[in-house]
Amino acid sequence: MVRQFASAVLCLYMSAAPPLFAAGAPPEPAVSANPNLSVIARAPDFALRDTKGSTVRLSDYRGRVVLLAFVFTTCPGVCPLISRQMSALQAGLKEAGLFGRQANLVSVTVDPETDTAKVLAEYAQKFGADPAGWRFLRETPAKTQPVLKAYDEWTKLLPKGELDHPARVYLIDQKGNIREIYSLAFFNEKQALIDIRTVLAESAPQ
Amino acid sequence: MKPKFRQLPTRMLLVCALAAAFPASQLTAETCISPYIKSLSKPETVMYLWALPATPSQGEDFLAVIDVNLASATYGKILKKIPVGSKGNEAHHIGYTDDRTKLWAASLNSDRFFIFDVATDPMSPKLIKVIDNVPKITGLSGPHTPYAIPGRILVSMASGPDGTGPGGLAEFTNDGRFIASHAATNHPYETVIKPEFNRMITSAWFPQKTWMLPFDKWDPSTWSNPNTLLVWDLKERKIVQTLVASDAVMLAARWMLKPGAKYGYNISSAGNSIWMFKMEDDGNFSYKKAADTGPNCSPADLRQSPDDKFLYVSCFVGSEIQAWDISDPEQIKLHDTIQGVVQPNMMHVTYDGRRLYFTNSAISSIDYSPRYSMQLVQIGRDGRMKLDPNFKIDFAKAPDGPARPHDMLLN
Repeated sequence: MVRQFASAVLCLYMSAAPPLFAAGAPPEPAVSANPNLSVIARAPDFALRDTKGSTVRLSDYRGRVVLLAFVFTTCPGVCPLISRQMSALQAGLKEAGLFGRQANLVSVTVDPETDTAKVLAEYAQKFGADPAGWRFLRETPAKTQPVLKAYDEWTKLLPKGELDHPARVYLIDQKGNIREIYSLAFFNEKQALIDIRTVLAESAPQ
Repeated sequence: MKPKFRQLPTRMLLVCALAAAFPASQLTAETCISPYIKSLSKPETVMYLWALPATPSQGEDFLAVIDVNLASATYGKILKKIPVGSKGNEAHHIGYTDDRTKLWAASLNSDRFFIFDVATDPMSPKLIKVIDNVPKITGLSGPHTPYAIPGRILVSMASGPDGTGPGGLAEFTNDGRFIASHAATNHPYETVIKPEFNRMITSAWFPQKTWMLPFDKWDPSTWSNPNTLLVWDLKERKIVQTLVASDAVMLAARWMLKPGAKYGYNISSAGNSIWMFKMEDDGNFSYKKAADTGPNCSPADLRQSPDDKFLYVSCFVGSEIQAWDISDPEQIKLHDTIQGVVQPNMMHVTYDGRRLYFTNSAISSIDYSPRYSMQLVQIGRDGRMKLDPNFKIDFAKAPDGPARPHDMLLN
């Protein structure tokens, strides 16, 4: 009986097979106009200092949307790319009149030992970060570690001296909920802008 | 002054990002895992195997840790077994989280998920969480493959909460908090994602109640659209196209790995065939039979080489492993076979494409031979395969009782 497994299943199936049918037209590839942005989890609050030494809390942004990235300045791979794309997103948010007032960008270094305030400030400047709506944060390793852990982030020193870390960006809504997690390798600033608009529209006056 | 990078087109940035994600021109890559998982870039040292006792009442399902480090004195040996604390789960597929720190193990019959920490000590995974009452939580049953998306796990679930009817996808955080379910029109088997196209494809098999019955009691009239693949808008979690085949039980599906590759393949177990899906220029997918695998094959698994040149098909009934040359994607050709391997099922190709591990238990209700084992195939640069005589783990004669080995992951 077993040797006839395939043909038996096929015969049984064909007697009950639905009619052949193929349909549907997907929207434009690469971005989606109607993203599903379910609440993933509560975004853990934190208090970290910016490059000028001011304390910044995530909860300070309540009522606004935050795009939170974990990066480090010596990252040879995707970090510079994500910072470039966030720069492009900054431009898009400014054009839409959302930058700073309704949507903010926050980059946190996972390597505070290397990324001093000065180094991080230079990095931010290199990417054209406008502090009115895009801040770069760092703290001591002891104070950074709990924040990384809360976001399921970690760092690991690789044999060749490179730093490994989960390559993620978080979209946090006005109520402090994580609504999307992006992979740095596949981050698309156009989609991120759509996502931010979508989340903002939830609380817009009807 | 505007920074120069602002003038870089997005497409160029995407290409750079993809190049960073897929180094070395894709000549090495860990195949058949989510593109969101960081790929192995060195020879494997340890394997995780999700297995169950040959007779479920004889013991607990377990995760086995196997030494696959060629330089090790215990190469090819089971180093330890980690029991999950319950019996009769029907261990099946496993998947890493995106950061490769956790391993999710899915159970076909009990619907449970077991989450292991594989980062703290990769040689000694620790069971850190068990998710019970999954049908109640998700409205779905019969979890098949855990698939990583950023910070989350997406699981293809075969059926509704009572084990019948269409299933869907269940979405969890990496640490096991339920997020949402997404309804399907068939019985999702496997999920494959091509992020750059915002497209996800799910294949289909049958509902949980079917596989929990003896094979001669299976009733295909209770199945919903097992001849279909679903194309989803990934971001929207919405089905945008249904691909319909003249064959059924569409199991493993694989996108080609090269960035920008718009096509892939899947196997039909009931139809003894390989099918090709392809995103055309207008964004719609075409779908057609690419090859017949032979009348007695009953394809069980489909794997791919890192360079998109070969597909590997395990013939569960035909007791052979086939290598297909897909250099010409539209005209694929049978390239090589290994015959005489009893009921081969799951396979795993190494990052360099040079080795293929395989196990030989499908599910308890259809296994036809108790000669359970794990073996290794060496693959030449020409795609020719040779069974490695120096690697065989005999699960039929395990000291603590025979076991059914199923899915594997390497680290």
